[in-house]
Amino acid sequence: MSFTNSQLFNDALPKIDDVILKPISKQYIKIILVNKFVMYALFFGILIVGKYVINKVVFQEYFWHLFFVTLVFCVLNFSIAILSFKKRKYAIREQDVIYAQGLLVNSITTVPISRIQHIEESRSWIARKFNLATLNIFTAGESGSDLSIKGLPHEEARQINDFLSAKVNGNS
Amino acid sequence: MEIADFTKPIRQSSKGIIIIFAFNAFRFFKRFFVLIVAFGLSLSKKKTFAIFSPTVIFLIIIGVLVLLLIVAILKYLNFKFHLSEDDFHLSTGIFNKDHTIIPKSKIQNVYIKQNFLQQLINVVSLNIETAGDNKSEIEISALDKPTALKLKKELFNKAHTNESQTEGIEANTVFFRVSPKRLFLEGLSQNHFKSFAIIASFVFGLYYEFKDYFKSFRVEEQIEKVVDLDDESIFNVLLINLGIIVIGLFFALIFSVIKTCITNFNLEVVENQKTIEINKGLFNKMSLSLTPSRIQNIVIKTNRVKQYFGLHTISVKQAMVNAKQRKNFAIVALEKDQVNHLIDKLVSNYTNASEALKPRPYYKRILALNILILATIINIPGFFIFGNGMLWANLLLIVIAVFYIHFGYKKAYYKIDHQFLTIGSGVIDTTTNILEIHKIQAVKLKQTIFQKRRQITSVIIATASKSVTIPYISENDAKAIYDFLLFKVETSQKDWM
Repeated sequence: MSFTNSQLFNDALPKIDDVILKPISKQYIKIILVNKFVMYALFFGILIVGKYVINKVVFQEYFWHLFFVTLVFCVLNFSIAILSFKKRKYAIREQDVIYAQGLLVNSITTVPISRIQHIEESRSWIARKFNLATLNIFTAGESGSDLSIKGLPHEEARQINDFLSAKVNGNS
Repeated sequence: MEIADFTKPIRQSSKGIIIIFAFNAFRFFKRFFVLIVAFGLSLSKKKTFAIFSPTVIFLIIIGVLVLLLIVAILKYLNFKFHLSEDDFHLSTGIFNKDHTIIPKSKIQNVYIKQNFLQQLINVVSLNIETAGDNKSEIEISALDKPTALKLKKELFNKAHTNESQTEGIEANTVFFRVSPKRLFLEGLSQNHFKSFAIIASFVFGLYYEFKDYFKSFRVEEQIEKVVDLDDESIFNVLLINLGIIVIGLFFALIFSVIKTCITNFNLEVVENQKTIEINKGLFNKMSLSLTPSRIQNIVIKTNRVKQYFGLHTISVKQAMVNAKQRKNFAIVALEKDQVNHLIDKLVSNYTNASEALKPRPYYKRILALNILILATIINIPGFFIFGNGMLWANLLLIVIAVFYIHFGYKKAYYKIDHQFLTIGSGVIDTTTNILEIHKIQAVKLKQTIFQKRRQITSVIIATASKSVTIPYISENDAKAIYDFLLFKVETSQKDWM
C-alpha cells in the first residue's frame, strides 16, 4: 500500500534523504580493532592455557572444535566490524542530531535538539591517544532513545558539544 | 484531629513506630526465612540446634525483636520534615544524618497509599516522587489521613501556583466505580497463561528453595513409585500430564480472579477539573492522580472475551514514574464509551477518524519466523524427553502458528494525523497505543540487510515512557513518516511535559 496523504506529508518538508551524513573519524577503527584484538587474544589465551592445564579427556578431545569455532567467530566479528565501520555516520542539523550505524541491522536515529536533556563528552585513555572523543546525548526517553556518537575528532566533539549546549540552554 | 502546621519541623504520627518496626521485622524475617525454617525443623527433630537450647533461642529472638524496636524508635525520632516557601525538607538517619531538600517545582507525583497494617491502625503513607532514578523517592510511612491530604495539596498547590489556583473549589465527581460483577468478569477474562507462568515459577522457586527438605522427605521416590504403577502405557503418563496442566490452568484462573479483585477492589475514578484520580486496592489501598500534561502514552487493551463483556483496560504511561508504580496506572473493566470519555479528558480533541494503514505483508514472514524459532526451542528438548510423541505436539504448534500469524497481521495497523499517532497491535489481546506527536523524544528508522533489498523499514518512536514501533512498512512511507514526525516535533511550541 503506498502512502498517499498529501495533506500531512507534503514535499516541502526537510527530507532525511537530503541530509549529507558525515562519517566518523577513520582513526576510530583502530580503537575498535584494538578492543576486539585484546578480547580475542584473551579468549585464545585462555583456550591455549586450558589445553596445557586441564587434563580432562573431554576437553582435550574437543579442543580443536572449540578453537575453530572461536576462530570463525573471530574472523566474522572482525570482518563485520570493518565493513560496518563505513555505516557509522552522523549529522547535526539546525533542529536535530542524526546518527546512523549498522551493517546487518541498519538504523538511523534522530533526536530533536529541543528534547535533549544533557550532553556528555567522554574519552577513554585509548581514545585520548588517538585524539578522539565520544559524545553521549541523553533525552528523557527510555535508554533506547539516547544517542552515543563514538569516534569523533576531539576538536569537533567539543564544537558540537558547545553548539548543542548553547541551543539546549537557550531553549529552556 | 488537629491538623499539623508544616512550617516547623514535625515528626510523623507516633504510630509510625509500629509501621517502621513491622516493616523492618518483616524484612528481617524474609531475609533469614530459610535459616529460620532450618532452625525450626532441626529443633523439632533434635530439640536443640547446634549448641543452643530452646530457651536460648527464644531469648535470641526476643533480643532481635527488642533491637528492631529500638531501631524503629530511633528512626522515628530522627525522621522530621517540614515545608518552606518553595521546598520540602526532610531529615533522616540515626548515625548518618541525611538532609534532603526537594524544590516543590521538581515534584512529579504524590501518592497516598495504605497497606493492610496501615489500614488497621488507620494511617496512610505518602510518597513523593521526583524526576530521576528509582532511588529519588521519599516515603513518609505514617500520617493520619487529613494531614496527608493537606500535605499533598500544599505540595502540589505551591508547585503550580500560577496555573491551578482554583483547585480548592473544584467540583469532584466520581466518574466510574467498578461493580463486583464486572471485576469478577475482568478477572475471569484475563490472559491466564500469564498467571500460569507466575504460579509455575512460584512453585519451582519454592521447590528449589526447599529442595533439601523435600529430599529428606523422599518425595521424589514416592512420585516415582506412583509413576511406576502407571507405567504400563504412555497414554496414562500423558493423561497425568494433561491432568496436571488442567489443574494448573484452573489454579491460574482462580489466581487471576483473586488477584484482579484484590488489586482493583473498589476501583474508583474521580474526575477533577484538571486531573483524574484513581483509588483502588483492598489490602494495599492507594490513591493516584493523573495529570494530563505528564501523560506520554495511552494504551487500551481488550481481547475477544473481554470485548464480548464490554470490558476495556486503559493504562496511562506518565513520564518519570518508577517501574514499580507504573503498572498501577491502569483502569480496568471500562465500557467502550467510558474509555472514549477518559481519552477525551486526558488528551484533548483526539479523533480516530484518519485512515488506518497496514504494515507490508512482509510482517507475516517475521511473525512466522518468530514462531519457527519458538518451535525449534520447544522441539529440541521435546524430542529428547518425549521422542516421537513430539510430532503430535507439532501439529498443535502449527495450528497455533497459523492463528498467531493471522491475528498478528490482522490486528496491526497505524494511523497518523496532525496531533496523534495511533498504533494497533496484539495477538491474543487487542492493543491500541495512542501518543501525542509533540511528546516524541526521538525517532529511529531500522532496516536489516534482508529488508534493504525489499525496501522495507520499521519506524521506532520513543517517548519519555515507552517506545512504540510501526513495523515493516515500505521505505518511502517510513521516510515520509520520519520526516513528518520530526517536522511536527521541531515546529511544535508545546512542551513535552
